[in-house]
Amino acid sequence: MIGCYDFCGHYEWTFGWFERVGGHALVRAYWDEAINLDSQAHARDLIKAEGIPGMLKYWGHTLLEESPDLGFHISHREDVFRIDFHQCPSRGFLLRNDLKNYGDYCDHCMGWTGPMMKECGYQIDHEHNHRGQCWWEIRPAGTPGGHAPVGSVSGDKDARLLPNWLAPGAKLDRYTKANDPDDKTP
Amino acid sequence: MANSIPGSLPYTDTKPVGSADFYFAINSTFRFILHRLGHSGWLRYLADLGTGYYAPVNTQWRQGGLPAVAGYWRAFFAAEPGGEVDVQELPDRVELHVKVCPLIKHLRAHGRVPVKEFCQHCYHLGTARAGAAGLTMRLCGGDGSCMHTYALPAAKLPAQDLKKIKENLP
Repeated sequence: MIGCYDFCGHYEWTFGWFERVGGHALVRAYWDEAINLDSQAHARDLIKAEGIPGMLKYWGHTLLEESPDLGFHISHREDVFRIDFHQCPSRGFLLRNDLKNYGDYCDHCMGWTGPMMKECGYQIDHEHNHRGQCWWEIRPAGTPGGHAPVGSVSGDKDARLLPNWLAPGAKLDRYTKANDPDDKTP
Repeated sequence: MANSIPGSLPYTDTKPVGSADFYFAINSTFRFILHRLGHSGWLRYLADLGTGYYAPVNTQWRQGGLPAVAGYWRAFFAAEPGGEVDVQELPDRVELHVKVCPLIKHLRAHGRVPVKEFCQHCYHLGTARAGAAGLTMRLCGGDGSCMHTYALPAAKLPAQDLKKIKENLP
């Protein structure tokens, strides 16, 4: 049986398998078709129906299950939903267990949430440092401007204020008003 | 790998049990592969997963024998939420008596329809893993309760009859 305890391990392994079998296009299709449209259909339905309150319900539940020690912080206002990951439970599992079968595991989050948010009418500002820290701001599509200033949405919980945000080994990938996993700028 | 104690899990997490909603993604992954790559592609995925991702477990089993197999499955099911499984270690085999499969239970409880081949994954994956460890694997039952057998070659288990693995119906 394939288990859920080490889900992030075989999930990441599967990305590498898809890339070897069908290239990057198959990996992208997997994130969208299998994760966004099928596995996480409950998230899409909730966010499409309720918007930012739906995001709060979805991530409030799922992150408490995945990260009961609260390695994250959620902020929300009428015009923005934000998550700061201080210790990503998913990336953290891979780092702790020295698992790597795919080039950039962190891309999977934009791989399924990007298309989902596009369908729901939202765009994403995001940065991840590949060391288990990242931040996400989700706003209605068409909102102008670039990244919000550090601390302006989540105060002192902003992941960019972490002392190890740019530690050795940390490499930032950045998305600005994006919905596509390939729209990142290093 | 963070932990190589024979009979234990070769990976560790900070929480004692996994998040059951990940079972949705396992089922969706199978559906995607079956749709995109066909049944043969799905079998290849399970074989590669069994000999690739699970290689550290297979090594534990090869080195530790049946006690390592039994220890692994006890630790495995202790970390999966909602199952009821009795692991029995016999002289020539280990039997997993799955009274309540945590995966099928969670999918059904949330109205998710397993792919009809879902329960076969335990056989195809288990066979790849057992083969790498010098063991044989058989499965009967399915769709919520079943029995897995991991045996020494000397046990001379009869060939697997795939009809003994239940299809998962809506």
